Amino acid sequence: MAGSLKGANIFYIFSDAVRSIRENLATTVLTALTLGFSLSIFAVFVFVFFNMRSVINSWGDRTQIVAYVLDSTEAPQAMRDAIMRVPGVSSAEFVSREKALGELKEELKGHEAILEGVDENPLPASFEIRVAGSYKDPAVLTTVAERLKAIPWVEDVQYSREWVEKLSAFFRFIELVALFIGVFLAGATIFIISNTIRLTVYARREEIEIMSLVGASDSFIRVPFFIEGVLQGIIGGLLALAILAGGRLLLLSKIPPYFSFVVSSPVPVPLLALILVGTGVVMGVAGCLISMGRFLKA
Amino acid sequence: MIQLFHITKSFEGAFALTDISLKIDKGEFLFITGPSGAGKSTLLNIIFGSEQPTEGQIILDGRNYFKIPRSEVAILRRRIGFVFQDFKLLPARTVFDNVALSLKVMGVGPREVRNRVLRMLSFVKLQHRANFKAMSLSGGEQQRVAIARALVKEPAIILADEPTGNLDPALSIETLELFKEVNSRGTTVVVASHDKNLIERFGRRVVRLEDGRLASDGR
Ligand SMILES: Nc1ncnc2c1ncn2[C@@H]1O[C@H](COP(=O)(O)OP(=O)(O)O)[C@@H](O)[C@H]1O
Ligand SMILES: [Mg+2]
Repeated sequence: MAGSLKGANIFYIFSDAVRSIRENLATTVLTALTLGFSLSIFAVFVFVFFNMRSVINSWGDRTQIVAYVLDSTEAPQAMRDAIMRVPGVSSAEFVSREKALGELKEELKGHEAILEGVDENPLPASFEIRVAGSYKDPAVLTTVAERLKAIPWVEDVQYSREWVEKLSAFFRFIELVALFIGVFLAGATIFIISNTIRLTVYARREEIEIMSLVGASDSFIRVPFFIEGVLQGIIGGLLALAILAGGRLLLLSKIPPYFSFVVSSPVPVPLLALILVGTGVVMGVAGCLISMGRFLKA
Repeated sequence: MIQLFHITKSFEGAFALTDISLKIDKGEFLFITGPSGAGKSTLLNIIFGSEQPTEGQIILDGRNYFKIPRSEVAILRRRIGFVFQDFKLLPARTVFDNVALSLKVMGVGPREVRNRVLRMLSFVKLQHRANFKAMSLSGGEQQRVAIARALVKEPAIILADEPTGNLDPALSIETLELFKEVNSRGTTVVVASHDKNLIERFGRRVVRLEDGRLASDGR
């Protein structure tokens, strides 16, 4: 069978791949560099996107609804349980009348006179409630607020839909921009890498033709290119990792510490290495085999 | 062993071969001659499977081909030693590597490759050039590398396209003596050449093509 790769073939294929990498060192390095830089640019984009996203998530997680309650009717714990059962509520924090007064006094520090003559605590107890995912869908906030109002011991519900809506619009805008940039960057990355690989294979079309003329099977011709693609991918992936690590160190020394989250990896570093090398290998191999396919059809 | 039935080949309407029928026996030594552009190369390429005939059929080893299936082309080519008119050597590889390639693709082990390649290089008087890059050789030397690469695998059939085109008369005769020797061991040899003197000197079967047609076939 033309595709047999037994015995001596395996030996030749590996020694030929090594030789071929040596002979084509310049193009191998060029391809690995291209892979490394393209992958690191794309990775920076993905980092910034995920880090922005987690920042926005934490904004959206701030208290969104305040429900004022009559704390004489039920025990705070029982009320909390009831509130937590409302679909969409992700957390509820009880603020007793005493705590509310304490907070008010704290805010009015230096102007305590205002509270003179107030014998009894006029402030109601309340719950500070967060609604999961409301920054993506502000309508959820209204639904939850309506349900809370329906509870007999809830006196009043306050929330700022406007703020959440603005946040939501901003988030959608960011996501749209990111999608555009992401598609553009991915396209550019694939374009650059596939062209680099096509050029390197094109430079060796004569070699491919001659091997085929002396009776080499397709797999005999393909395997060295495959091995080269794998090696280029590994080198490119590691290079991208090095570029990212170097860039991060450089940035960390230049930006204020509270901003440093922007350059932190959204995934554990070994996983990141695996993703980068894996992507490099897949692109290197796919690029080589696709470009070669054209020369092998003849 | 090789039989062509009514082979016609046209390139975009221009006929390179018209209705060629030819039978080449196993172990035969045959010249294909004719003026430049007569279709000699095209005929060899069709037998080799690197060109497809427009019409007609080929029988190789009792098997009937119109189009040789892609999966079998590699196997067929391992049984045919082709000396290309333009050599088709890998210019940056050594003479040894160029000749070794046709054994490596068949899966011959490294030690045997080494022995056979060196023996073949001394056969074509190129042993002193084994480690030279192919591109550093003269035209005549490159031609002998191409011949060595075709012969080293001890093929059942040798197809040689103007194998003496770049050689001086003395080397041309030596080269054909080499083919004769291989032929005497049972290999079928088909040589395309327009060198009248050489052909007459060897006195074998001569197939003459003119304008893509079979003009004469005689011994
Ligand atoms: N690939 C090709 N495309 C177009 N025409 C070709 C091609 N190969 C050969 N020909 C034409 O076919 C004819 C025969 O060519 P060829 O077989 O090379 O002749 P020879 O080897 O006898 O000199 C010539 O007219 C040549 O121009
Ligand atoms: Mg010719």
